[in-house]
Amino acid sequence: MSIALHQHPRAHPIGEVLLAVENVSLSFGGVKALSDISFDVREHEIRAIIGPNGAGKSSMLNVLNGVYHPQKGTIRLRGKSFSDMVSHEAAAMGIARTFQNIALFKGMTVLDNILTGRNLKMRSNFLQQALWWGPARREELAHRHAVEEVIDFLEIQHIRKTPVGRLPYGLQKRVELARALAAEPTILLLDEPMAGMNLEEKQDMCRFVLDVNDHYGTTIVLIEHDMGVVMDISDRVVVLDYGRKIGDGTPDDVRANQAVIDAYLGVTH
Amino acid sequence: MLYREAGQFKSTYAEDMQIFPIRQDRIGVILLLAVAFLVVPFVATQYWFSALLIPFLVLSLATLGLNILTGYAGQISLGTAAFMAVGAFMAYNAELRIPGMPLLGSFIIGGLCAAAVGVVFGLPSLRIKGFYLAVATLACQFFVLWAINRVGWFTNYSSSGVISAQKMVILGYTFDTPASKYVLTLSIVVVLALLAKNLMRSETGRAFMAVRDMDVAAEVIGIPMMKTKLLAFAISSFYCGVAGALYAYCYLGTVEPEAFVLDLSFRVLFMVIIGGVGSIMGSFVGAAFITLLPIFLNLATEVIANTFDIEISHAVVSNAELMIFGGLIIFFLIVEPNGLARLWQIAKEKLRLWPFPH
Repeated sequence: MSIALHQHPRAHPIGEVLLAVENVSLSFGGVKALSDISFDVREHEIRAIIGPNGAGKSSMLNVLNGVYHPQKGTIRLRGKSFSDMVSHEAAAMGIARTFQNIALFKGMTVLDNILTGRNLKMRSNFLQQALWWGPARREELAHRHAVEEVIDFLEIQHIRKTPVGRLPYGLQKRVELARALAAEPTILLLDEPMAGMNLEEKQDMCRFVLDVNDHYGTTIVLIEHDMGVVMDISDRVVVLDYGRKIGDGTPDDVRANQAVIDAYLGVTH
Repeated sequence: MLYREAGQFKSTYAEDMQIFPIRQDRIGVILLLAVAFLVVPFVATQYWFSALLIPFLVLSLATLGLNILTGYAGQISLGTAAFMAVGAFMAYNAELRIPGMPLLGSFIIGGLCAAAVGVVFGLPSLRIKGFYLAVATLACQFFVLWAINRVGWFTNYSSSGVISAQKMVILGYTFDTPASKYVLTLSIVVVLALLAKNLMRSETGRAFMAVRDMDVAAEVIGIPMMKTKLLAFAISSFYCGVAGALYAYCYLGTVEPEAFVLDLSFRVLFMVIIGGVGSIMGSFVGAAFITLLPIFLNLATEVIANTFDIEISHAVVSNAELMIFGGLIIFFLIVEPNGLARLWQIAKEKLRLWPFPH
């Protein structure tokens, strides 16, 4: 069912290498989560990371935005290497992400959640905010405007004042995407954006991921278990198994790769 | 007029982001303030001012302070009374030692000193959470009272430790009657509450709530954990410090360590829980519930005793009061664990549709 969704000319053609992962190894005590992983992500592409459960996909994503620090290897963003970066620095460098188990701020409204995504762009100090005066007020209004654009883009206008804790799962996933998008990231990391969704919600989410890539030119790295989705929307795929990289290439390459087939279907030893 | 927002259309974001977006709320707040400022000072009795209104307002401010920390930023603290003590004693010392210091300046200095102490005792929050943090802030409670008792400078070397507060003079006007003290307290509380309301609906407030709801996600979207938590401690302690200064100057008339014992910290924490965690209005409701209910119960028992013409001994009354009070706290917590402010919110949502079921 491989439908080439990218057949039309892309608004943002795939460019140079944006993010390069070089020989990254990560272990927790005796458990090797990632060993010697290298791959790159090009500008404006949709890059998928797949693999069976426990392959190290989420660990990889956590390394990319500074939640985990790899013991070995480097990560280069636009050629600049960093190894010990904490996650709010990663955010400042333009890396935004969503989580496998939704990590929204449950007590806040959709609007407030998405507005937190723009915190790095806010300059006024708390005294100005307390007075709701001058720069603080102008800034709130300007960011509200920007956030409303994201809300329109993801079609969640009707729930903007609802506390997120009351929303159904599929919408929460969409709000989380909106919060990440509000930061106007260069790289967007999506950890299983379609997990636990029904077919229609998955189709919606696929459309949004493609639209984000097309409209904002955001480079996207995503983890996903639904093979149909991965093969349809991604430009290139990395396959991990037991913390090692066993395949890397276009969806068609990966589909034909014997090691990948063995990892997914099992092999008699 | 019905309380609902139907028909109130907003055509700009500025209108939608007003401090009170619903017209009835605006009218209600203005009416409430008008009554509090223009009617109450002329009709209330001495007893009302000094036993009800002033302690209610002061404790509302302390509750608001703790609510910023616990309700909005999610950091539990049992050091509220200590921050209040710092505010009271430093305001006293500022007034005493800096010649020509205006009274409000002393209150602000008291608040700022409390904020500094709050930041120091907020440092453990970078490592520990929840109950463990609560225990760590207990250290603040004991340390501050110990320091005030031991270091003579704080009490101006008074032998008893109880000092009477200086006269309150602002721009030549002396605040010595209960009514004037009430107006002074009310003004400070209203200004600080409005500032808090603004702060909590802008970037700082969102950062606090983000840290409260999910700290990992907050950090990933770029909210610096250390700065946010310490700022929460600082702002919260500032409010508590000013409340402490008002407690000493406007309510007690004396500055003494015994006024700021752990019991007060717990009372303020109960006010937060009963009023509503993470709600500015809830802070006032909670403070009202805990300060005014016992007095109301007292009056009610008297009325009952008079109408049924029975003799109720004083001991029975005071015990019954405690029992009913405790029972009501448990009742409210079961009915609505999120506090009285949440009950009001539910009522509001119901009123939007009333009298239609959907």
